[in-house]
Amino acid sequence: MKQWLAAVVLWSLGGLGLAQTVTVGLDADPPNLDPLLSSALVDRQVHNQIYDKLVDLDENLRIVPMLATSWRVEENGTVYVFTLRQGVKFHDGTDFNAEAVKFNLDRYRSAPGSRRSGELSLITNVQVVNPTTVRVILKEPFAPFLAILSDRSGMMVSPTAVQRLGAEFGNNPVGTGPFKFVERRRQDRIVLARNENYWQRGFPRIEQLVYRPFPDDDVRVANLLSGAVSIITPVAAKDLAAIRNNPNLTVNNFPGIGYQGIWLNHTRGPFTNKALRQAFAATIDRDVVDRVVFLGTALPSNGPFPPGTLAHDKSIAVPKRDLALARQKLAEGGRPQGFSFTLTIAPGPVLAQLAQVYQAMAAEAGIQVRIEQVEFGTLLDRAAKLELEAVAVGWSGRPDPDGNIYDFVRCKAANNYSGYCNARVDNLLNRARTVRLPEARRDLYSQITKIIQEDLPYIYVYHPQTTIGLSRRLSGIPVIPDGILRFRGASLGGQ
Amino acid sequence: MFFFVLRRLVGGLPTLLLVTVMVFALTRVLPGDPARLLLGEEATPELVAQIREELGLNRPILVQYADWLWSLMQGDLGRSIRGNEQVAPIIWQKLPTTLELSFFSLLVAILIGIPAGVLAALRRNTVADAGVTVLALSGISIPNFFLGILLIYLFSIRLAWIPPSGYVEPWVDLQKNLLLMLMPALTLGTALAGAIARFTRNSMLEVLSQDYVRTARAKGLEGRVVVYKHALRNAAIPVVTVIGLQLGGLLGGAVVTEQVFSIPGFGRLLVDSVFNRDFPVLQAVVLISALAVFLINVLTDLLYAAIDPRIRYH
Repeated sequence: MKQWLAAVVLWSLGGLGLAQTVTVGLDADPPNLDPLLSSALVDRQVHNQIYDKLVDLDENLRIVPMLATSWRVEENGTVYVFTLRQGVKFHDGTDFNAEAVKFNLDRYRSAPGSRRSGELSLITNVQVVNPTTVRVILKEPFAPFLAILSDRSGMMVSPTAVQRLGAEFGNNPVGTGPFKFVERRRQDRIVLARNENYWQRGFPRIEQLVYRPFPDDDVRVANLLSGAVSIITPVAAKDLAAIRNNPNLTVNNFPGIGYQGIWLNHTRGPFTNKALRQAFAATIDRDVVDRVVFLGTALPSNGPFPPGTLAHDKSIAVPKRDLALARQKLAEGGRPQGFSFTLTIAPGPVLAQLAQVYQAMAAEAGIQVRIEQVEFGTLLDRAAKLELEAVAVGWSGRPDPDGNIYDFVRCKAANNYSGYCNARVDNLLNRARTVRLPEARRDLYSQITKIIQEDLPYIYVYHPQTTIGLSRRLSGIPVIPDGILRFRGASLGGQ
Repeated sequence: MFFFVLRRLVGGLPTLLLVTVMVFALTRVLPGDPARLLLGEEATPELVAQIREELGLNRPILVQYADWLWSLMQGDLGRSIRGNEQVAPIIWQKLPTTLELSFFSLLVAILIGIPAGVLAALRRNTVADAGVTVLALSGISIPNFFLGILLIYLFSIRLAWIPPSGYVEPWVDLQKNLLLMLMPALTLGTALAGAIARFTRNSMLEVLSQDYVRTARAKGLEGRVVVYKHALRNAAIPVVTVIGLQLGGLLGGAVVTEQVFSIPGFGRLLVDSVFNRDFPVLQAVVLISALAVFLINVLTDLLYAAIDPRIRYH
């Protein structure tokens, strides 16, 4: 009742223009506000305002303190000792302390149905040393550990609220973050209000944050153009000009951490033949894809690690289109006249356009691409069962390189849609997880990238950029490559 | 009358049971595994298996159906797979929105459709008649999303009179609520008005050629009285049937219009639950919509009697 009243008051204040409200237009309705059960990318936009994490990322993807003020790595990378921020309280008034950290990490790794259990599977024990110190013990050294704690696995929820609300926690989330949950109406809005007791003095600056889902690109941009929302993400490439031409609005583009491309099935169809994989790959012109489909807003890719991330190796060239090579490989593969295959894609205008560009480029080498559109769930299902010859599925990306490759090209990995299996790659992948020295890791990932460019379980085509359209009045939102908008320091000027 | 209604309601039970079977079967033949969709990027085979077990998706389909029906009879619509929350409150949250949108759309449709139809019938084979026909056909054939986007472009972006989309509950801010309802109601209403206008015209033409209308005119009755009291009332029955059918469709959710104007009603819930294979929500929405259509049919039957006193229900 109290929450409902607060919502009514805030909403009417918003209508009168008294509250500083920022309305954010997203491309989907965040399904789950409990980090334990969240598996949609868009959830994290809202999570990051309600929950603080043990550590955060900065503009250069470096790990920076958040609820943990410092940490030590001991015993050859198998023990992490975190010192916690003092005097932090959850929105329900309870204390954040070492017990809360233990509760959260234990919940994430062992609660039934936890979507986080995989990421934290190497934790063997979480020990409370004193109220502000926690020791986390790992089974073996695991270099991506801190990066994982900068995402949902590091989000601290109120243990009291979880115990009180049980399965309903996701509908009444409680964290320590800069904004408190007020109300949600499915497919309509999520309303958050300023946490007046936020540990970082003077923050947040705005009073209210409202998230609204607009699945349709045109509708999302119309809402920004009309001033009904202050900021939208993502922006379709075709809408960038309309935003740029509006004097009150601006566009912010920055490199993301994911990739898009095509899985080639090594277990059936023409792509069991390595030369034919190489032939098709050689027909792709990444610059044309960028210019034609993304109007220059995507980055041509040389592998799973985008520029600006730890493992990116700029000495590895972005493969160029080479029709002569394609024809030579066709001959080598015993199909000098070309061959045909089916490329399966999920529905969507951009994906369809992209597939047609691939189709046109391959046709010039005599390779016929049949495009098959399948609903996304079915596509994942069939891709996982290795039933598709080629499938266009990308990855949103993770800050640590391991998150962009380990579960994808390893033998029998969960997201390996090519059936690729190479013991040498697996060996390198496992080593890159345990080494902590960044240079050594980069070297291992470069070796892997080169092998994959040759073997082609996946053709890395481009790295999508994060595109944001926003009002010029809105400032103070840091540009962090994970694509999450952090509103802690946001302010709305020039009323 | 009372017994008629009771008989209709009881008679509808087998139909509704059949609907439950259909709904359940249809949702289950959809390709795509809800567990995999739910997990998205996080899907590992172990987790998928665990979630399937948790959701009861690995049990025989008949057992799943019986379980759902049993819960349904106890008033329990289940839990959403996607959002992990009770389905009944979601339905209750959406119902007023959908009812409001349906009401206003129908109002627009009737206010435009019936006068236009009457006008076309009275001025048969004139420019007015042709004009109404053209407008009616345009209303029917212009896709909702196109008209919606056009309205947004004109009234929200060019003129900046109305917010482009969204929904505010009437009890929170009535003025804003009505303002936001304007464009979606126009979008949906004009499409329906076309059909209503065509039916009104045809039905009126039929009635106007009847002997009693000629008699009424011969008696020297005023033209307006003849048209509204004698002709329109008798022409209304097929029109009411059409309106009833359309209202049933509206209550099932105006999928496209709700999407364009970001209205959180049944239509968007339906689309989202289909895409996410959120079976419990999908089943509930379809079932409630079927129930609404059924109730409206009963209501339409009762309206016939109100319009035409010769009709009696026993």
